[in-house]
Amino acid sequence: MSGKGNEVGDRTLSRGIFDRSIRGTTTSPVIVRVERDRIRFLSQVLGIKDPVHHEVAAARAAGHRDLLAPPSFPMVIEALAHDERARVGLPNMLELLRCDLRYLLHGGEAYVYTGPIFAGDDIEFAAEFLDFQDKKQGTLEIADVALRFSHAERGLLVTGRRTLIHRLR
Amino acid sequence: MPVKEIIPDLVFGPFTRTVLALYAGASGDHNPIHIDSDFARDAGQPDVFAQGMLSFGVLARVVTEWAGQDRLRRFGVRFASMVHVHDTVTCHGHVVERIDHEGRLCLRVAVEAKTQNGHIALSGEAIVEDRDALR
Repeated sequence: MSGKGNEVGDRTLSRGIFDRSIRGTTTSPVIVRVERDRIRFLSQVLGIKDPVHHEVAAARAAGHRDLLAPPSFPMVIEALAHDERARVGLPNMLELLRCDLRYLLHGGEAYVYTGPIFAGDDIEFAAEFLDFQDKKQGTLEIADVALRFSHAERGLLVTGRRTLIHRLR
Repeated sequence: MPVKEIIPDLVFGPFTRTVLALYAGASGDHNPIHIDSDFARDAGQPDVFAQGMLSFGVLARVVTEWAGQDRLRRFGVRFASMVHVHDTVTCHGHVVERIDHEGRLCLRVAVEAKTQNGHIALSGEAIVEDRDALR
């Protein structure tokens, strides 16, 4: 991250919303099953027409083991993981960060794809809270989060980086 | 070295309330700022605005419908400005250069999504394996 002169000072003076005490921690991993209908539903809403995301026969004919998850599908896995955490009484990522949804913005998102995700896969999800920063004279605060999506046999399939922003007054 | 590849633009929209609600259901991200006008106004917004990851997923189509998802190695964006309800976006991609990405010959593709007002909503890049390298 760029080292603007005032950031260290801002950090100590911050009246931010994020719970910065979680910096450096990783959520306990949660495993969720990728369902065909979730791949179909997301693909339909995004206007993705390639049948490898909709029809099992087309996916298999293209050499895939089942329906192929599109590039933004990790978000669905993450939401399923949060639902699973809620069922066992664990807070989700936004709760751990203590996000205020009224002032929360999504600053950026990037995925590195090392392997495909298919319907029927059991995917393990974990998030690591990397860093917090203040920007623009303390009117914005930023959280930097790393995301990992992996499969027991095929290893790490997708890694993600996310920037979340609170607008502060 | 210039790379002559034409990537077709893609137009998506309008981002109706129905689209935002369907994306909330499809993604599992139920943040009310995108689907509940009352919540959005109480938070100081003029109205609901689109989920960033909805536009991310649409913008990624510019790359996957041109190159095929099998070749996609990385896709990342910065959310530069909001996509408001009723907006339409035009998604654009162009090849910037050939690069070595973890020992593989790849193309670096710049991508962006602009609203009908010309505002850049998303900008980012994709790394796509070079077709020649796959032969």
